[in-house]
Amino acid sequence: VENLGEVSILKASSGFVSTNICLWLLNAVHQPGSHCVCLLLSRYKDLHVYQLEHPTQVIEWTSGKTVCVAGFTSSKNEILELRLPLKLFADENKGLCAERDFKVVHGGFTDAPVRCLRHIPGTRCVVTNDGLSSDLQVWDLGGDDSDVIRRTGSVDGSRGVSEGGSRIAARLSSQPQVLHGAESAGVRLTQLTSGQTVYTLETDSADPLSSLHFVSDAVFLAGCSNGKVYIADTRTSAAPQLSPPPPSSGESVLWWTDASAGPSCLDPSSCRIVRLSSCGQTVISDLRNPGGAVSRAQLDVQTRRCNADDVRVSWAPALDDCIAVSGFSGAVQIYSSSVWTTELQEAQPLFEHRGHAVSSQSDDGVPVFVTSHVWHPERPRTLLSAASDGSVHVWDWVDQSAAGC
Amino acid sequence: RSCILVSIGGKNIMLDCGMHMGYNDDRRFPDFSYITQNGRLTDFLDCVIISHFHLDHCGALPFMSEMVGYDGPIYMTHPTKAICPILLEDFRKITVDKKGETNFFTSQMIKDCMKKVVPLNLHQTVQVDDELEIKAYYAGHVLGAAMVHIKVGSESVVYTGDYNMTPDRHLGAAWIDKCRPDILISESTYATTIRDSKRCRERDFLKKVHESIERGGKVLIPVFALGRAQELCILLETFWERMNLKAPIYFSTGLTEKANHYYKLFITWTNQKIRKTFVQRNMFEFKHIKAFDRSYADNPGPMVVFATPGMLHAGQSLQIFKKWAGNEKNMVIMPGYCVQGTIGHKILNGQRKLEMEGRSTLDVKLQVEYMSFSAHADAKGIMQLIRMAEPRNMLLVHGEAVKMEFLKGKIEQEFSIDCYMPANGETVTVTTNPSVPVDISLNLLKREMALGGPLPDPKKPRTMHGTLIMKENSLKLVSSEQALKELGLNEHQLRFTCRVQLQDPHSDTDTLHRIYTHLKSVLKGYTIQHLPDGTVMVESIVIKVSSSTEDPNTKVLLLSWSYQFGSDLYCLKRGFFF
Repeated sequence: VENLGEVSILKASSGFVSTNICLWLLNAVHQPGSHCVCLLLSRYKDLHVYQLEHPTQVIEWTSGKTVCVAGFTSSKNEILELRLPLKLFADENKGLCAERDFKVVHGGFTDAPVRCLRHIPGTRCVVTNDGLSSDLQVWDLGGDDSDVIRRTGSVDGSRGVSEGGSRIAARLSSQPQVLHGAESAGVRLTQLTSGQTVYTLETDSADPLSSLHFVSDAVFLAGCSNGKVYIADTRTSAAPQLSPPPPSSGESVLWWTDASAGPSCLDPSSCRIVRLSSCGQTVISDLRNPGGAVSRAQLDVQTRRCNADDVRVSWAPALDDCIAVSGFSGAVQIYSSSVWTTELQEAQPLFEHRGHAVSSQSDDGVPVFVTSHVWHPERPRTLLSAASDGSVHVWDWVDQSAAGC
Repeated sequence: RSCILVSIGGKNIMLDCGMHMGYNDDRRFPDFSYITQNGRLTDFLDCVIISHFHLDHCGALPFMSEMVGYDGPIYMTHPTKAICPILLEDFRKITVDKKGETNFFTSQMIKDCMKKVVPLNLHQTVQVDDELEIKAYYAGHVLGAAMVHIKVGSESVVYTGDYNMTPDRHLGAAWIDKCRPDILISESTYATTIRDSKRCRERDFLKKVHESIERGGKVLIPVFALGRAQELCILLETFWERMNLKAPIYFSTGLTEKANHYYKLFITWTNQKIRKTFVQRNMFEFKHIKAFDRSYADNPGPMVVFATPGMLHAGQSLQIFKKWAGNEKNMVIMPGYCVQGTIGHKILNGQRKLEMEGRSTLDVKLQVEYMSFSAHADAKGIMQLIRMAEPRNMLLVHGEAVKMEFLKGKIEQEFSIDCYMPANGETVTVTTNPSVPVDISLNLLKREMALGGPLPDPKKPRTMHGTLIMKENSLKLVSSEQALKELGLNEHQLRFTCRVQLQDPHSDTDTLHRIYTHLKSVLKGYTIQHLPDGTVMVESIVIKVSSSTEDPNTKVLLLSWSYQFGSDLYCLKRGFFF
């Protein structure tokens, strides 16, 4: 077997020549910690690999079985709503279902890049931002009578934002609303039908945002790139709570945040926040004590390069204490934070999905990196990930520590 | 089912003649009443072209040619011609013998039908008659599958049949040159899908086989002699070697002979890799795969067996299935579609109790796995094909219009061509700009050249003046004089006159002179002459002045021009306006 990542020529002793067979099988043998060859095929319960015409930076669930992806070139781009393969969901009769493909159920065109895309729960509406201004575009995904995604309107962002695009969040509500902003000062909650702003976040400083998250109907988190997290309640005009950035070295460190819904979404204080820095330092806090740290870890990420746009950190919605990290390389890493302590120690991933790097389609020598990942909202170990070469993978990983072998 | 009728340049062509595998009654056949209400089809069709051997493309062919009636040529590639009758006969046996149907073609009809077949080679232009020509291109998908280019005069159509744009392990990818057909006809069934990678399908296959072997089970893989069988064998051989597995793998001998026979015949149709290995050594000299003997089926322990036929409807694969079905450790992997009425079809629909001959029932306890390895073009593939062929219009068949709007928009935007999506039974009319070749007489050509200016160029058309004569299927352009001579007609000249009244007290000569001076100053660039016979000529328009008989201060200008020179008249009108 020749170098990893290149086409492997395998010669069986009968003189047979076959090319490019099962690269992952062959690669998996060389993975650290994998001493048992029988694990080769058992790393994934399900695995699907797709190639889009253009890479996407967004993957957003629009239902339990459909996701939206969109291009981010500077000119014309497509927004696609894809239905996941039926085989993935055919739990009892999986063997009888041969359907492995994505189905493009709806598609549309946009003239600008799509850097952020959010589905408004309870509607067939998605909201996008092009990363160039803070304004949002509103789209109707369409129903059964048409497969075209149409632009229906726009939402103005805060004026005076010099660069960077808006982050977007939404939760189920009787009136479709969208939370958006590029900086902490000026995050707004806008009514979609009327365009009215029902809430504006006011903060002392205008910190650029890396994410927005609802932890309940009224409480949301504004995660800033400098590591600050604001916790605000849209029902009050009181000042938001501020969780200062974790101590870190260097001013050029960037931070990304995710909030878990907690075991009970009625009690936002049981929600936890994870903050990840561009050096790989991770801090977990509790909303009851946002300034403190429940646990810390130094993750094994390549810190040589990272594009602020691509890094994603997310809590697993259906697994305890699991965090997924991507954007530093061509891999998606899964960590279990249950073993972390308040002391900063190195953590090893529970699982690493290296499929994008290994089966890279780009041939210009530029390394592939993962642009986005999402967890399935209900299936505990199912994730979708996308990379800079246009690949999209759907994978259900096996917890090797539980499998034992 | 695929069955498309194209009328082009006065010729009628039938593209594919497939059977609908979902129906049991006459709805499974195409509705030939679109061609004619009663009687044979021979007079209405110039030819029939079959793209590949899948039953939804050729399953109704013997019905059409022998029961409805068609005696003209049926075109298909050599491999299709070799494999079609086998599949049709299998299909006939299942439908008639097993299901007891009556309105179906017989074995003799299949033979008679195949006698009408004219085989095609790739990239070779075939003259169906002196106006209609066809050419086959490689389509990938299955052995012998072709895309067809049909040309009448300067109009053409390309029909893709089923094709795929990513190479397979044993087949290449579809390819066509920039033939710029007026219409490109393509299936849209998979147009809105994005295909899961081959690697993942193969991984799934290997995982399933491995799991069964590990628990001591037996794996049956029913296959048709060709195509997927080779791919799966290569895959297992490599896997066994890598994983150092010991369980035996067998293939039935019938498979080897047929496969080798077909590959020898059609080696040019497989891809580079297979061809290389075949040339080096026998296709089936594997280290881990051996020939099967029927007694091995009773051997204890795990094993994998490739056996024919592919739908478990008869023969060895069915025999093995019967032996192994009762054990839940075993597995059967169906690598393709199974026709209704076969055991394969029943178990893929979840049936766990089967009625066998002699009223006995078979309990299906083994694991049933349906895996699709067939290669189809997806949304990306269609765009790639359009980029290759550069059609002027696109036609998508077999999709629901409502589900295809996005793709239609995408094609129209990216290529600036019209995209049509007719439903079954609907007719689409596409306007084309055919170029009509015409001979030009040497005299006329010389005359036009003498006029100077740029040489004629396809990108810069040039207008010229002549007479088009259509005589006995030929068209020629000649000068008007020559045309009149040939037709034995006299030339007549038309001259128009018009009188304009002017108030002017000067003498006729003075008025004329003033008109001359005025026109000369206003209409620069035109030839204006004051002739000694008392007239002024603007190009070829003649102006004469005379006084009105009633009033000497009223001058009457007589303008006279010949029929052609409308532009000269316009300039004169301008001059007078000034």
